[in-house]
Amino acid sequence: MNLDKIQVSASIRSGWQALDLGFLMARAWWKPLTAASLLPTLPLFIVLLILFPQDPLWAAMIVWWLKPFWERLPLFVASRLLFQESAGTVSSMKSLVLKDSLPWLLWRRFSVQRAFDAPVTVLEGLKGAQRRNRIRVLHGKYSDVALGNQFVCFCFELLLFFGIIILIDFFTPEKMGLELYNSFNELSLVGEWIYTLSAFGAMILVIPFHVMAGFALYLNRRIELEAWDIEISFRNLASRKQNAIQRATGIVSMLLLVGLIGIMHPDPASAAVRHNQESAAELINEVMAGADYGQEKTVRKWRFKEWGEENEENEESSFPQWMIEFLQWWEENVDRGDGLGSAADWLKILLIVVFVGLLLYLLRRYRGPLGSLIGGKAVEAPPQVLFGLDVSPESLPADVPVQVMELWGQGNVREALGLLYRASLSRLIDKHKLAFRASHTEAECAQLVREQGIVSLSEYFTQLTRVWRRLAYGHQQPPLEMVELLCKTWRQELSDEPV
Amino acid sequence: MLDTRYRVEIPGGIKLEAQVVGPIPRFFAFAIDLVIRGILLFVLSLLSIPFGAFGLGGGFFLILLFLIEWFYPVLFEVFNRGQTPGKKVLGISVINDDLTPVTLGTSMVRNLLRTVDFLPLFYLTGLIAMVSNRRFQRLGDMAAGTLVISVRESARAAAVGNIVPLAPATTLLRAEQTSIIEFLHRSKQLSEPRQHELASILDGITHQKHENGVDRLHRIGAWFLGVR
Repeated sequence: MNLDKIQVSASIRSGWQALDLGFLMARAWWKPLTAASLLPTLPLFIVLLILFPQDPLWAAMIVWWLKPFWERLPLFVASRLLFQESAGTVSSMKSLVLKDSLPWLLWRRFSVQRAFDAPVTVLEGLKGAQRRNRIRVLHGKYSDVALGNQFVCFCFELLLFFGIIILIDFFTPEKMGLELYNSFNELSLVGEWIYTLSAFGAMILVIPFHVMAGFALYLNRRIELEAWDIEISFRNLASRKQNAIQRATGIVSMLLLVGLIGIMHPDPASAAVRHNQESAAELINEVMAGADYGQEKTVRKWRFKEWGEENEENEESSFPQWMIEFLQWWEENVDRGDGLGSAADWLKILLIVVFVGLLLYLLRRYRGPLGSLIGGKAVEAPPQVLFGLDVSPESLPADVPVQVMELWGQGNVREALGLLYRASLSRLIDKHKLAFRASHTEAECAQLVREQGIVSLSEYFTQLTRVWRRLAYGHQQPPLEMVELLCKTWRQELSDEPV
Repeated sequence: MLDTRYRVEIPGGIKLEAQVVGPIPRFFAFAIDLVIRGILLFVLSLLSIPFGAFGLGGGFFLILLFLIEWFYPVLFEVFNRGQTPGKKVLGISVINDDLTPVTLGTSMVRNLLRTVDFLPLFYLTGLIAMVSNRRFQRLGDMAAGTLVISVRESARAAAVGNIVPLAPATTLLRAEQTSIIEFLHRSKQLSEPRQHELASILDGITHQKHENGVDRLHRIGAWFLGVR
């Protein structure tokens, strides 16, 4: 044990802080510690899996029960790493792993301070009464903290165990039917294997942290009891004073030498001053250029590559030549801030033109909604088709009622009334400037007509709509008199010709 | 050198120090807060029943549940110097990573990201994040730029007793003075041979051996403590 080489800062910590230091140690030495816990565990685990291929949970159980053994090698490795010592031979490790094994496998298997007590057995090699006394000294006020370590690491192991299983469940399709949430004795074989491997993985992942937290607590107690921090500090002080004495002796002898030289050369002081004056400026510049003065600053920005160099190095550039030329031209012109000539200005003008063009296009495209927004009525083209009926004036025959009666006479009842209805709509749009929209229903059209306020017209149209809807949707044929009446009224209300 | 200490140098060359706190104390602090929240919610649920478990009372309870679950830590961290009740019991506290007090913004970020640290179950992600960096930050801490540190315990009262002080023969650095004071304070915990062993390291300075060396170091320590 050479305290000068200790790898953790030896200072007095509270118990909880010691556990944190243990986690840092586990993090820093994670690879050697994990390797040390896998070295004996993995071969045994594999052998057990081969022995119980149908019941892999047994392998997990046995390996888990023997955990106090697996924690010893990492502890030993850590104790070597702590003082930068070499790990020793494999045979010494074998004896170490089996030391005082029976109690540790039986009643001490459930010791709630296992990680804290392990160093007494593994590193100090104590047994029986000696061990008990030693542990009584060490425990002191830390047995609670050691219990906390044991409990939390147990929880972490459980967490990892179930976490791995749940992750596997997340990432496997339901159809595989792993059914990982059954109770232990109802698991499928695949489920058992997943549980086994997950338990082993969780154990191996937690061992370094658990062992190191216990070890750090043990170290903390020893630092406290044996004042390691004071020893280190005292040693530094002693060696500093020793060096100071050596330096002082050196200076004294040098002074003697200088004195001797001084006797031989009459004016050494003025020579030194002259030398300083000559090189002063140089020296100052040298010092100012050093790292202590001035500041270095790392600035990152984009810039173009040196195209010439690029081409020399790599003739077959993947860019076409015109693009390279354009970019070169661009690079030369882009930053030349002289009036309109520079490329940036041209680009600016181009962007403004595109923007204005876009604005104009959008204004034109949305002039309807914009117009109604500003306040004017929407300028909307009248619909050509309502409920699948062609309502353009061009599609109508010259004399609508005659044509209607003719169709009626031929037995085309639907077409006859359809013609009458669409002719009415067409006239309403044309003559009365009614703003039907393609989205309106028949009833809404009738409502719009009523809003016009012409009583006779609206009565007529309402009646026509009712007849048409009964025929169109209800297949109820109106009597001939009704059709004749509608045709007659149509002439009065909607025809162009004077009655 | 492995250490749980976290250092920040602020403008003016002043160095600040804090001890970062790892998963084990934080586990207990969280557990205590969990219990407190559980009790609180239980009481609230009882109070809400008279107002209709599926009506007004239930609605208010759900709103309170939401607020407590999400803002319980934020409230305490911002208004109670970075300490929820659980953290207070463990003597730990949340702080920005430049060692300024935690603010509403940073506290919100670190607590909203709890959901990420929680995945896939019970803070497994947070645990893995915590042990993979030397400041024990979970993902929420990294995003918010916060640390959990242990709150400094008050300085030990110096009870020196009847020791005749002695000025040291040589000048000592600050750390060296501190270690001699520590030696004075902690001698009672050390065995006699260990005290002699430690004092013998400095016999080049004390020019004394064994009990006399220990005694002389004690007197120098008392001098450094200001006894005259």
